[in-house]
Amino acid sequence: MSPNAAPTFAPGARVRIIDLKKPGHVRTPIYVREKVGTIDHFCGAFENPEERAYGRIGGARIPLYRVRLMQRDLWPDYEGPDKDSLVLEIYDHWLQPA
Amino acid sequence: MAERLNSDIGGLPADTVPRDETPQLFWEKHLIATFNVLRAKGVFNLDELRRIVEAAPPEEYKRSSFYGRRIDGIADLLIEKKVINRDELIARTEDVLLKGTRDHVA
Amino acid sequence: MNSDHPDHDHHHDHTHDNAHGPHPTREDDDVVLSYGEAKFLALKGMLIEKGVLTADEIRRQHEINDLLTPHQGARMVAKAWVDPAFKARMLKDAKAAAIELGIEVTEAELMAIENTPTCHNIIVCTLCSCYPRSLLGEPPPWYVSKAYRSRAVREPRKVLREFGLSFSDQVEVRVHDSNADLRYVILPMRPQGTDALDEMELADLVSRDCLVGTALPGRNAGS
Repeated sequence: MSPNAAPTFAPGARVRIIDLKKPGHVRTPIYVREKVGTIDHFCGAFENPEERAYGRIGGARIPLYRVRLMQRDLWPDYEGPDKDSLVLEIYDHWLQPA
Repeated sequence: MAERLNSDIGGLPADTVPRDETPQLFWEKHLIATFNVLRAKGVFNLDELRRIVEAAPPEEYKRSSFYGRRIDGIADLLIEKKVINRDELIARTEDVLLKGTRDHVA
Repeated sequence: MNSDHPDHDHHHDHTHDNAHGPHPTREDDDVVLSYGEAKFLALKGMLIEKGVLTADEIRRQHEINDLLTPHQGARMVAKAWVDPAFKARMLKDAKAAAIELGIEVTEAELMAIENTPTCHNIIVCTLCSCYPRSLLGEPPPWYVSKAYRSRAVREPRKVLREFGLSFSDQVEVRVHDSNADLRYVILPMRPQGTDALDEMELADLVSRDCLVGTALPGRNAGS
């Protein structure tokens, strides 16, 4: 997948996953919104599923990142050591520097 | 906080993970194949199917099964795109059930 | 319109064993015609009549899908265990590495995640059922269950215990939620005492669940 949108965040950068409060189809789960993590990997740029879901294909590609969050930051009752983490993919427009 | 999509269930309480393994039924495999062919032909894309499945009322989603969501989603998407007619699908489905066999389908 | 009439009218006492295909399938006549199947048959008939697709195209795709099995993932793992250069390529670009073995992955991206002595990885798709199907075939029922999708991100260690696995606090348990364009396959650690095994024998140790993170090769291999 060749990116035609350069990443705005570098691996290791601290980021907040913002809640865009956007109705309709999105791929950012509720459980990570307003949480802070670290850029783990730049996946490349992909068409926005929020557009594709309504038949608007062939649109602009958006940078996609793997973001790593600590489980203790996601769940108040997390059962496990502090080192446990979770990684998921977040599109650029859902991120801001933390 | 935004409203949670019905499919956005990460972190919600749930029971023990069901472990019984049942092989896919023939029709379920045929449904997946049909889905693949429709996507390959550009009739719809995967994101559209997800969006349609998410549009089901939450109570319906909670009660739904995996292949139930698939056939309902694909049908609803094809109806939305006016590829097929809803009333005709209902009538034809009842017809199949009435005949009770699969023989007449090519 | 929904098909929430239970569409799994399974007859668990079936004795007919279909040995002709790579997957067990029941003869159609042994299974009660459910609403879901009737709806599919009606839909299929309509699509064929309207010229959207042909029965042959569906059949052909069905046959292709029948070739996709966890064994393809197991072959990649086994080769990675015996060939460090291949392992490096697999970790860098799993899709390209799969092509070396004649496996064509059709998802946008495939990423191999390596288990280490300090980190055990587990894959889930909380939002739907994303899974590297073109590599491994259809996911197991437990993977697409709402219970797994809900709990694997929040209490992975408890879920792993249900699968018979537990890890000390010295080992990180890392969850990967496959929520966008990447698909994941786990590269498990090679079990001890397998130096004498060849690549095919090593592949046999790697079950489907090892590739998702809920089993370890060589033991607790499940199905």
